[in-house]
Amino acid sequence: MTNNQRLVFIALLASQAVIISLLERAIPFPFAVAPGAKLGLANMITIMALYTLSTKDTMHVIGIRITLASLLGGTISTLMYSGAGALLSFIGMVLMKKIGGNKISIIGVSVVGAVLHNVGQLLIASMVANTWTVMLYLPVLSMIGILSGIAIGIAANYILTHVNRLNYYKDLQTFQVERG
Amino acid sequence: MLRQLIKIMRRGDMIIVILLFLLSFLPLAIFTYVQASVSDDATKIAVVKMDNEIIETITLTGNRGTQSFEIVADDGDINTVEIIDEKIRIRSATCPDQVCILTSFIENPGETIVCIPHKVVIEIQAENHHEELLISS
Repeated sequence: MTNNQRLVFIALLASQAVIISLLERAIPFPFAVAPGAKLGLANMITIMALYTLSTKDTMHVIGIRITLASLLGGTISTLMYSGAGALLSFIGMVLMKKIGGNKISIIGVSVVGAVLHNVGQLLIASMVANTWTVMLYLPVLSMIGILSGIAIGIAANYILTHVNRLNYYKDLQTFQVERG
Repeated sequence: MLRQLIKIMRRGDMIIVILLFLLSFLPLAIFTYVQASVSDDATKIAVVKMDNEIIETITLTGNRGTQSFEIVADDGDINTVEIIDEKIRIRSATCPDQVCILTSFIENPGETIVCIPHKVVIEIQAENHHEELLISS
């Protein structure tokens, strides 16, 4: 992948992620029992980036997404919450992908990402509220996170295996890695 | 979709899912453990905080009847707190997510109602007659 191709691909993924997060925000809240729970559709893009780009470029995609999505329809606190969630889930997913290797599929990576996203948000919430009992809310959130994580993993797997263009980028990256 | 799931899913994924599921109950386990060390005869006090400043303390033990009051922030956010006998809840709030209202009544030491958008926290503390406070924020 030439440098320009790489930049365009990063921009493409980031813009898709921004649109998806904005659309997701517009969907009326689907789980009445657990406010704060989200489908995490934007995570799909993060996973795609993780499987097609280098770790550093994936970080760029996430950074652009968080900044733009917060600027377009959020507040400072949403920036804080989604930032912490995204950072933690990104670290978790990268580690999972590295350590897991062949034993862990895209679903495992996606589930780890979803749950850690919730953990990150609750950590910020307990810091804001100054009481760690906020963490008691975790089981409800992580339950939904696990389910949506599995679904997102399947969706991302579909995209990765069925979109030829992505495979093309995937090959380019491995090619580059092998050579360099 | 299920067939797809079985096709991709590996054993490692199952282990991760189960592990994460169990780990998410860890805070609950710690909470229960901490709470178990509070004796039953302690006086229960509800502490209402906004922006980490205590604005009201209510002794719940021995309380009878229904009281309610409003917490009004400078920027117009309102949380209505209601106390019925020895339980306390937030009855209504002008926040978008309404988590505090869904939490409903709390009555045991250590339990909290948190309204993140308004930074309102109601926490029940136990005042032991014999020893120091065991629950802290």
